[in-house]
Amino acid sequence: MAVTRERFESGMTYDEYKAQMNRNKEQFEANEHGVVVDPGDLAAFTGLPRPLNVLVLGEDWCGDVIANFPVIGRLAPDSGKLNLRCFLRDQHPDIMDQYLKDGRFRSIPVFVFFDDDMHEIGRFVERPDCVTALRDEKRKALSAEHPEFGLPDTPIAELPEDVRVKYQAAMAEIRAEMVAFANKAVIEELRAIVERGA
Amino acid sequence: MPPRTAKVTITYCAECGYEPMTLALAGALMNAFTHRLSAIELIPWYEGSFEVSVGGKLVHSMYRDGGFPEHQTIIDAVTAHLAGRDVPPPSQPE
Repeated sequence: MAVTRERFESGMTYDEYKAQMNRNKEQFEANEHGVVVDPGDLAAFTGLPRPLNVLVLGEDWCGDVIANFPVIGRLAPDSGKLNLRCFLRDQHPDIMDQYLKDGRFRSIPVFVFFDDDMHEIGRFVERPDCVTALRDEKRKALSAEHPEFGLPDTPIAELPEDVRVKYQAAMAEIRAEMVAFANKAVIEELRAIVERGA
Repeated sequence: MPPRTAKVTITYCAECGYEPMTLALAGALMNAFTHRLSAIELIPWYEGSFEVSVGGKLVHSMYRDGGFPEHQTIIDAVTAHLAGRDVPPPSQPE
């Protein structure tokens, strides 16, 4: 069942979403503050002939929401052309189930772009494929450099705690190093969606 | 000789909302085994992981087996471990 304008307008604004967050709010806001948008990318959104409606599905516990929602959260006010309305995934399963990843998984965040007549022009789900691929590549390289971390598919529980703590720190470092790349990838994917629909 | 006990380790993705499933499984095991458990270890991890090991042997992996395990599957694995038997094969995907 298509999302009606009425249903869309019932969603939370971006600020209302942030206000209701019970966890990870500090990290979310830090991520939002850290987003860098190239002038060329911003122009693609600012130059849209009409504002677009963007339905967002998210939850405050989800790592990909914390990483990627702030990106569109910055693009919206910076461009003045994205009207965001946010829904909590677990409270709106009927909406979520219209946008399953691969038709199966309730992956979030989801950003669904609609024109003014509420026709969908495109969607973003979870994270860009290139981010997943780079993350996998870096994890494999980490395992190669640190045999004590085991192979990428070694059960984590098999590692001694002190090794696991080092592995965890190394993974956090990889994530931190990838932020600029990941944010740019998200912006490019969103730009491709709006340019297709323009 | 003291009776055999079992250590269960649950590795769960801490950024995927898996806490309720993790705690529900831990609770089910506590109720089923009380002092026959030597420890339940909860390891927060990444990227969709949900793995359960009993006595150091992996009995369920979301990557390998798909989905979350039925509680009874893990209870059966702990029961087998306590009896000194081989742990049953992995659960079927949900």
